[in-house]
Amino acid sequence: MKTFPQEEKAIVRKDFHELWDSRMSRTTVLLVPLVLAVALPILFVVLINTVPASEINGADQMRKLLPEEARGYSLRQSMLYMVTNLIFPVLYLMIPLMASSVAAASSFAGERERGTLETLLLAPLGVRRIFHAKTLGCVLLSAVVTGISFLAFAVVVSVGDILLGMPFFLNWNWLVLIFFLAPAVTVFGVMFMVLVSARSKSYIESVQTSGYLVLPLVLLLIGQMAGIFRLGPLFLLLAAAVVWVADALLWVFAGRSFLKI
Amino acid sequence: MRDGGAGGIITLQHLKAAPWKRRRFPVLKALEVIPVNGPAVCALGLGKSYNGKIFALHGLSLEVRAGEVFGYLGPNGAGKTTTVRLMTGLLRPSEGSCSVFGFSPVQKPGEVHRLCGVMTDGVRMYRQMTGMENLIFFGQIFGMREEDGKERAEDLLKRLDLWDVRDQKLSAYSTGMAQRLSLARSLMHRPKVLFLDEPTSGLDPESVQEVNSLIAGLARTEGVTVFLCTHQLRYAQDLCRRYGILEKGNLLACGALGDLARDAGLHAKASLRLKDGDAPSGFTRGTDGWWTTDILSEDEMPKLIRRAMEEGCSIYEAEIRKPTLEDVYFQYMALNGGEKP
Repeated sequence: MKTFPQEEKAIVRKDFHELWDSRMSRTTVLLVPLVLAVALPILFVVLINTVPASEINGADQMRKLLPEEARGYSLRQSMLYMVTNLIFPVLYLMIPLMASSVAAASSFAGERERGTLETLLLAPLGVRRIFHAKTLGCVLLSAVVTGISFLAFAVVVSVGDILLGMPFFLNWNWLVLIFFLAPAVTVFGVMFMVLVSARSKSYIESVQTSGYLVLPLVLLLIGQMAGIFRLGPLFLLLAAAVVWVADALLWVFAGRSFLKI
Repeated sequence: MRDGGAGGIITLQHLKAAPWKRRRFPVLKALEVIPVNGPAVCALGLGKSYNGKIFALHGLSLEVRAGEVFGYLGPNGAGKTTTVRLMTGLLRPSEGSCSVFGFSPVQKPGEVHRLCGVMTDGVRMYRQMTGMENLIFFGQIFGMREEDGKERAEDLLKRLDLWDVRDQKLSAYSTGMAQRLSLARSLMHRPKVLFLDEPTSGLDPESVQEVNSLIAGLARTEGVTVFLCTHQLRYAQDLCRRYGILEKGNLLACGALGDLARDAGLHAKASLRLKDGDAPSGFTRGTDGWWTTDILSEDEMPKLIRRAMEEGCSIYEAEIRKPTLEDVYFQYMALNGGEKP
């Protein structure tokens, strides 16, 4: 038995082309990772290396947020450590979230808006297989974007590490984030968007609604910077588990909402 | 595999295909279990209400035979598209049931879709893809290999006069081109039943003729059953063998033109064009200057001509005018206080 028959492959390929042909979707899928995984890290690395230490306000306060392992770092090293381990993990999660949301909005709401969903439903492969193909396509796209973004981010931060004589940035936090939380967030973005797409009238409306998904990430960032909590591997693992459970529930509801078409 | 006795369900082309080549004909999979003696399309008390109060379609019962071109006529909002959507599984019925070659679209939508080609206004294609890409894509999701899909698409694009624009994006197509491409899409997987909702709307007369001859050819040579929803009564009369007349969700009549005319109280007319001043008894003069009278059978015609000549009338022309589909349609609409198509 083929694991991924040609009918599904054709749908995934078609969805990729559609997303690529839409300027708005293409821009979002390219621009968000470029800004969050390349431009911002470069900016931080450059600033940390060039701005005089005396001009960095509140550095001492911020250094108090650092864990034991980073206590012996210089001011510049501490700043890079903080940016890499406190700010960017949260910002990085926006990449799978946005990529999956935009892909799913294009694939589900866009298809409905363009009046082509009915044509697809007339194929003999059935609503369930169409749903699976579309979902898988969105997850795949988001996974590729997230993976490439991480590689680009790793290159930039590694250069910063080398410039400041710091060890390689990858730690348990990032490993949990890459292998557990980011995939969970990707699936969450897709499932959320399938549910939203069933109710929204257009692709634009669906993408706008995806803005709500960023709120928990903003709260995470604020919470960390305010010193309320610190993201550790266990915390991230727990968060990943919670999101995976939510994914499973959303999968059932999203599937049902799509089957009702 | 079953034989193709009933209504030519399996064509020679299909039978010639060796087992290893049958994937080129996705419809074969479903054909192997087609109940050969039943009607191609059947509805029994079929109805749909979108709000639970008003029925867009109510109590529809009809049968369409295999290989027949069935004209489904009615004004806008009569329930024609709803019928197609119910029969192809895009909608669930609120009452009754329907089937295509014995398969219920509710229970076996996959089998129904394998057998059916559907062309309605709501069934659109991808505007950012070229005509060729669209057809290959739809071939693929019907289980055709890419190269087979390409071969089939080339054939259809040529037959529907779209070959020169095959590499243009659909967004650049005129309404008529898009309409013909939609017809090509519905034919990609060699369906055994075609549901066509206004396939010639927006087409120029030449294209209308091409599309109509394609539809007639499909029925004649490939045994395709065609369920044709249309407003264009003149073309419907040329194409269809039987008709259903629908109004406000209710089927007013169903049958061959002769039967419908008889049931509507319409008769053939003996018509004579005479020399000015002549007036045969029993005839009335129409606005076109012809003298006409109702007849029950063609056998009355020689008698009427003879009588007119005996009365001294000079006959320039004589013909039997049978009720047209338009006459029948408007008669039914008038009897039911309905609208124009």
